[in-house]
Amino acid sequence: MDQPADGAHVIDFVLLGQLLPVFGAAALRTVMLTLVGLVGGLVCGFCFHALRETGWRMAACVYQVYTGVWRGMPFLIHLFIVYFGLPNAGISLDPFAAAGLTLAVYGGAYFAEIFRACWQSIPRGQIEAARCMGLPARQIFRVIECPQALRASLPLIASQTILLMKESALASVVTYPELTMTAGKVVSAQFVYVEPYLLLALCYWGLSLLINLAARALRARFAI
Amino acid sequence: MNAATFAERLAAYLPVLLQGAAMTLAAAVAAIVLGFAGGAVLLGVSMRRGGRGFLPAAVRTYLSFFRGTPLLVQLLMLFYLPSAYGINLPPLIVAIAALGLNSAAFQCEILRAGLVAVPVGQIEAAASFGILPARIFRHVQLPQLARAVWPAVVSEAIDVVKGSAIISVISVADLARGGRQIVSANFRPLEVYLSVGACYLLMTGAVLLLGVWISRRMART
Repeated sequence: MDQPADGAHVIDFVLLGQLLPVFGAAALRTVMLTLVGLVGGLVCGFCFHALRETGWRMAACVYQVYTGVWRGMPFLIHLFIVYFGLPNAGISLDPFAAAGLTLAVYGGAYFAEIFRACWQSIPRGQIEAARCMGLPARQIFRVIECPQALRASLPLIASQTILLMKESALASVVTYPELTMTAGKVVSAQFVYVEPYLLLALCYWGLSLLINLAARALRARFAI
Repeated sequence: MNAATFAERLAAYLPVLLQGAAMTLAAAVAAIVLGFAGGAVLLGVSMRRGGRGFLPAAVRTYLSFFRGTPLLVQLLMLFYLPSAYGINLPPLIVAIAALGLNSAAFQCEILRAGLVAVPVGQIEAAASFGILPARIFRHVQLPQLARAVWPAVVSEAIDVVKGSAIISVISVADLARGGRQIVSANFRPLEVYLSVGACYLLMTGAVLLLGVWISRRMART
């Protein structure tokens, strides 16, 4: 390793400037992956939650198995099964599709649990009162439960989104060129360590803070 | 892929998987203990002088950084940055340190939330009886704190076990690494990674059951 020259200065700002556009493009890919995970996960989680709310015993079983298995295994292993394993079963996905799909189903298991907790936080009395007044079940769900439970779930969804954004770094292992993979490429091509990893950490840190800010703005917007 | 031959293959996988699982458990346990100690220290420092001054601010930055960046990035930084300055650390040490430093940030927040669970009135009442602060902590705060934070600590422990899968990236011979080794020899990724996943599921399930069992015992006393 030819490192002695690096001892003179701690950070090479010229190199940092050259890396900025590369990392910007990679950060966009990380954001895209996170968005796929967030939207897909919300839809997936809400569907499983709605399934559980039907009250069928079979549905409760399916829900248990889904949340148990997907939350009990590392994201990396899920990703390996989807990206490396599914081709054995005749389903080949490209890195982005594999990472996005895995992130969505993985996130869905957590979102389903968030929805369940928020639905349970609604006092039973409200639903009984609505039933007494003759509201149909569908309307109770839409007009009484959803607005309150979804508002309560906002902060939890925000912190789960940060977790998904962080998990998306593992997409680098299946060669999707997001932030972490980009940093790895720069390191192996130019034999510099400090600048790419510094920039990498700052990008993720900034994204986390942005998600926090967005969540705070949304909460203020939807506050009662 | 008929059943009998899969069973035979699984029997061949098992020694590798068990060896990997032992490494995963060892690294995870070390990281959880390190994280707990680190979290307690961080919490103590962050509460000094009412949270004002340099040290508490440094702790807040630490918490924000370790909770805001991916574990994988922290691991890679801890592994490659020292080597850029000529310091080569063994992968296992780096892995445990990264998992532990990361978990410390999360456990600090768990403990902080737990402290709020004990009403100030109880502490004031104990103090007005002339009980020493150390004994107040041991007999009034600690039992309630332990019960309040336990579920969150268990779920953090599960997260550490799951998160530890990425230490295979810096070539620590853990469970995920074992799976990759088998795959590179037999090219059957689906069944191998499903078996690896089942092993993780068993481990996280065991942590959960142990946690529930201990919390029942805590409730009894």
